[in-house]
Amino acid sequence: MSLLQVDDLIVRFRTHEGAVYAVNGVSFELEAGETLGLVGESGCGKSVTSLAIMRLLPKPAGRVEGGRVVFDGTELLSLKEEEMRDLRGKDIAMIFQDPMTSLNPVLTVEEQMVETVRAHRKIEREAARQRAVELLAMVGIPHPEDRLRSFPHQFSGGMRQRVMIAMALALQPKLLIADEPTTALDVTIQAQVLELLRDLTTTSGTAAILITHDLGVVAGMTQRINVMYAGYIVEAATTAELFAHPSHPYTVGLLHSIPRLDAAGGEALIPIEGRPPDQREAPVGCPFAPRCAWRVEACWRENPPLVAIPTSGTAGARVQHRIACHNPPTPEEAVAGHPLRSDFHAAPPPGSVVDELAASEPLVDGVAVFPQDAPVTFDRQEGPSTPLYGAAGLPLPPEEDERR
Amino acid sequence: MSAITRPLGSARPVDTRRSHGLWGDALRRLVRNGPALLGMFCIALFVGAAVFAPLIAPFDPTVGKLADKFLPPGTGGHIWGTDLQGRDLFSRVLYGARISLVVGVMSVTVGLAIGGSWGAIAGAVGGRVDSVMMRVVDVLLAIPGILLAIGVVAWLGQGLPQVMLAVAVANAPIFARLLRGSMLSVRESDFVIAGRSVGVPGSRLLLRHMLPNALTPLIVAATLALATAIIDVAGLGFLGLGPADPRTPEWGSMLTDASGYIRTAAWVVFFPGVAIVISAIGFNLLGDGLRESLDPRLKR
Amino acid sequence: MAKYIVRRLLGAIPVLLGLSFILFAFIHLLPGDPAAAILGQHATPERTEELRHNLGLDRPLIEQYLSYMGGLLQLDFGKSLINNRPVLDEFLIRFPGTIELTVAALIFAAGLGIPFGRFAARHAQAMGDGAVSVISLLGISVPIFVLGYTLQYIFAVQLHWLPATGRIDPRLGLELHTNLILIDSLIDQNWPAFVSGLQHLILPAIALGTIPFAIITRITRASVLDVNNEDYVRTARAKGLKEKRVDSRHIMRNAWLPVITVIGLQVGGLLAGAVITETVFAWNGVGAWVVDAIKDHDYFVVQSTILLFALIFLVVNLVVDIGYAFLNPRIRYV
Repeated sequence: MSLLQVDDLIVRFRTHEGAVYAVNGVSFELEAGETLGLVGESGCGKSVTSLAIMRLLPKPAGRVEGGRVVFDGTELLSLKEEEMRDLRGKDIAMIFQDPMTSLNPVLTVEEQMVETVRAHRKIEREAARQRAVELLAMVGIPHPEDRLRSFPHQFSGGMRQRVMIAMALALQPKLLIADEPTTALDVTIQAQVLELLRDLTTTSGTAAILITHDLGVVAGMTQRINVMYAGYIVEAATTAELFAHPSHPYTVGLLHSIPRLDAAGGEALIPIEGRPPDQREAPVGCPFAPRCAWRVEACWRENPPLVAIPTSGTAGARVQHRIACHNPPTPEEAVAGHPLRSDFHAAPPPGSVVDELAASEPLVDGVAVFPQDAPVTFDRQEGPSTPLYGAAGLPLPPEEDERR
Repeated sequence: MSAITRPLGSARPVDTRRSHGLWGDALRRLVRNGPALLGMFCIALFVGAAVFAPLIAPFDPTVGKLADKFLPPGTGGHIWGTDLQGRDLFSRVLYGARISLVVGVMSVTVGLAIGGSWGAIAGAVGGRVDSVMMRVVDVLLAIPGILLAIGVVAWLGQGLPQVMLAVAVANAPIFARLLRGSMLSVRESDFVIAGRSVGVPGSRLLLRHMLPNALTPLIVAATLALATAIIDVAGLGFLGLGPADPRTPEWGSMLTDASGYIRTAAWVVFFPGVAIVISAIGFNLLGDGLRESLDPRLKR
Repeated sequence: MAKYIVRRLLGAIPVLLGLSFILFAFIHLLPGDPAAAILGQHATPERTEELRHNLGLDRPLIEQYLSYMGGLLQLDFGKSLINNRPVLDEFLIRFPGTIELTVAALIFAAGLGIPFGRFAARHAQAMGDGAVSVISLLGISVPIFVLGYTLQYIFAVQLHWLPATGRIDPRLGLELHTNLILIDSLIDQNWPAFVSGLQHLILPAIALGTIPFAIITRITRASVLDVNNEDYVRTARAKGLKEKRVDSRHIMRNAWLPVITVIGLQVGGLLAGAVITETVFAWNGVGAWVVDAIKDHDYFVVQSTILLFALIFLVVNLVVDIGYAFLNPRIRYV
C-alpha cells in the first residue's frame, strides 16, 4: 500500500469574481521513502494540492470539492480538525518557499523549534531544547547552541531555510512536503540546500513531495515527476523517463525553455508563448490548447484523459508513463521543440473566421500584418481560419490590459 | 513583452460598457455606493437647512419671549420647543446650519490654501528647504487640532472669523503633508522629468501636471476635513470660544447655554447635538465614498 | 537598543525647540499687542506701556526669546497674569485630575477596543466590516460634548445609575495627597471615596475614550487580519500547533505592534479631548482651567499648557516607540 494516495482531488476558490478552478481532479500516489516532483508554472495548482493535503487551504475561500486523500491508511479530508492537527508537523511536515516570511520574526528560533517538538511530544522544555540543538547541528548550522537564541532575521537566507528544514524534520515525519524550497534563495545556496534535503530524506527514509516550477531542481532529486498545468496533471513518469522521453507538448515546452549546459551549440531557447488560462472559467477542452503547437481540433472540445503510453523501459507500474494529450509530439519533435510535419497546422479555435481584413500587406505564410489601429472585423462562423497574433502595442480589451 | 497569441474562440467578449472618463466613472460608482448616498442625503439636509433657513424658519432665531422659555417640543407652534430665553429651537438649529456651513467651508478652504501651498512649495523646492518646512508641519501635528485651534482663539480673541482661522490653522498641517506627498510623487514621475528635460518651465509643470495629480486625494481629504471642521467649530463654540455675540445661533454655543438644563429641558441639548452629528456623518460618509470611487484600484 | 533610544531622544529635541518657538511666536510675532488685549477695556496708553515693560515686551525679540527659553530650561513657564502664581505650580495641582481622566479613557478604549478588534477579525467573514465601520463612523462623527451629554442624560438623569458631574461626592471627606482621587482614597483606605471616585469617572472616561476606542478597534482588526495572512502563521499551523497557541503566540505577538503605536498616538487627542470632557462633566482638571485662562486672556497659562501637553505627547510616544522596539526584535537587534 502506498504512503499517500490522492484520488481525483478537486479544489476551488470562491472569490468576489466567482469560482477559481484551482485543482481539477488530480490523482497520484507516493510510496514510503519515495520523492515525487510536482512541476509546473505558478498558478498551476501544485501548491494548492499540497495545502489541500495538509488541510491548510486559506479559509474560507479555498475548499476541497471532491476526491480523497489517503495517508498511511487514513482518509485525511474527513478527519476531525484535532486529529488532523496531531498529524501535521508530526507525520506530515511542510517547508515553504520563503524562509524569511515563513519564520515568525518576533520569536527566537529556539521558541519556534521547541514549541514544534512539544506540540507533539510530552517532553520537558530542556529536552526539547536539546533536540533542537541536535537538529540544527544536523542541518549544518554552526554553533547551534548559540544560534538557538537568535531571531530569524539574524540568519542568512540559506541558513533560515536550514532552520525550516530542521523544524520540519524535528519529529521524523513520514512525509515532507517542500513547496519551492529553494526558489527564494541565491543560486549558489540552492544546490547546498537541495543536497541537504536529499541527504536527510534519504537517510531517514522520509518520503517527500518536491514542488517547483524548475525542472532543473527536480532532475537530481526525485524518483518520479508529475507535471501540472492549470490544475491538471498532464504528464506523469519516472524522472529518467520524463527527461528521456518528454511526451506532452507542455513538458516539451518546459524543457526547451530552460537553459541546458549540454545543449548543442546554436540551439535557441524556445519560450512557451502566451499565458496560462484564466482559471476563473470552467475548463473546456484541453487547457493547454491555446498555447500548443500540436493542437488538433479535438483539443478545443475535449480534455484528454491521463492515459498510459508505451515506454522504452521494462513493463510494469513503476515505469509507467502517462500523458493527457490528443496529439503528442513524436520523439523527434520533442527534441526539436516544434511540429516537424510540414503539412501540419495547429487547429484554429472553433467558430472563428476572419471575414474582412484590412491588412496593409499581403498575406505571407498565412500571416497577416496589420498596421496599428487598422479596422479589423470578425464574423464568427464555423470553418477553418487563421489564428490571430497580436504583438506588443496592439490594444487588448480593457480587462486584459488591467491584469498585465 | 513577447508576442501574445490570442485564439478568437476563447477571447472573452470585449467590455461593452463605455468608459466615461475618470470623473464619469467615479460618479457612477459613487451613486451605487449605499453609505455614500446616505452621506449625500445628510449633506443635502444640512446644506438645505443652511440655504433655506430664512424661508423655513418660523421664528427669529435671536429673539424670544422670556415668558415662553423652555416650552417642550410641539407647544405654542415651536415644533422643537424653545430655549432658556424662549427662542424657537427649530429656527436656531436651521440658522446654526448656516454658520456651521459657512465657517466650516471657509476654514477648510483657508486651511487648504495655507497648508496646501506650504506643502506644495516644500515638495516642489525639495532639499533643505523641504526638510525645514516639513519639520514645522511635524511640530504642528504634535499638537492635537482642537488644542491648536484653542491656542489661536486664545491669541486672536473670540469671534466667528477667529474661529474660522483657528480651525483653518488646525487643518493646515494635514493638507501640507498631503500636497507635499503628491508633489514629490509627481516630481519623480517620468512625464515631469521628461518635461523638464525639454525645457518646460518649472512653474508651468507645477500647475499643468502636479496639481491635477494631487487633486483626487485632495478632494477626499477636504471632504473629511469638513466633518472635522464642523465638529471643531462646534467644539470651540461649546467651550465658549465661539461667536463674539452670545445670541448667535451657533450649534456648539447652543449646547453650552443648555448645559445646566439637561435635567429639565433635554431637547435643548438634543436637537443641536443631532444636527452636528448628522452633518459630520454626512461628510465622513461622502469622504469615504469618494475615496472608494475615485480610486479605481479599490473597486471590487 | 541603547543607540536607538539615544537617536530617538535626540530626534525629539528639534521638535521641542520648534514647538517652543512657534508658541513664542504666537504671542510675540503675530500682529496685535498682548498687553492691550490683557487689559481689555481698562487699557490706557500709560497702563499698556507699563504692562509691556513689566512683561518685558519692550525688549528686543531675540532677547525675549532667549530669556523665555532660559526660563523653560529651568522649568520656569512664567506666571499667571491673573493671580501671579507660577504657571507650573497651578498646572501640577490640576494635572492629576486630567491624568485620572485620560488614563481611565485609555484603559476603556484599549481594554475594549483590542478584544473587540480581535473578535471582529476572527469573525470577519460572518460580520463583514460593517460593525467596525459603523463604530468608526460614529466614533469620528459624534463630538465628545454631544456624547457626554447623551451619557449624562441616559445614565444620570434618566436611570440615576451614575453621577452626572464632578470627581467625587463632596460630602465624603477625602484628604488629598496626590490629587488622584482613586490613589488618595486607596492610601487612606477610604472605600466610600474610592467607589464614589470610580462612579464619577465612568461616564467622562467613556465620553473621552470613544474616539480612541473606535480607532483602536479598527486598527486591531486590520492588524490581526493582516498577520493572519502571513506565511509564518501558516507555518505555525503546519507544525500542528493548537489554534489557541497560534493565536496567542504567533498572531498576537505580531499584531500587537501597530496597535501599540496607535495607542501612543491617541494620547494627544485624549489630552485635547480632556479639555472638552472636563467642561462637560465639570471635572476639575487642566482643561477647564485653560478654558478659563483663555477667556481671561491669561496667555502664559494657555501657552504653557499647550507646550506641556505637546511635551507629554512627545514623551509618551517616545516611550511607546522604545517599547515597540523592545517588542520587535527586528529593531532591538539591528
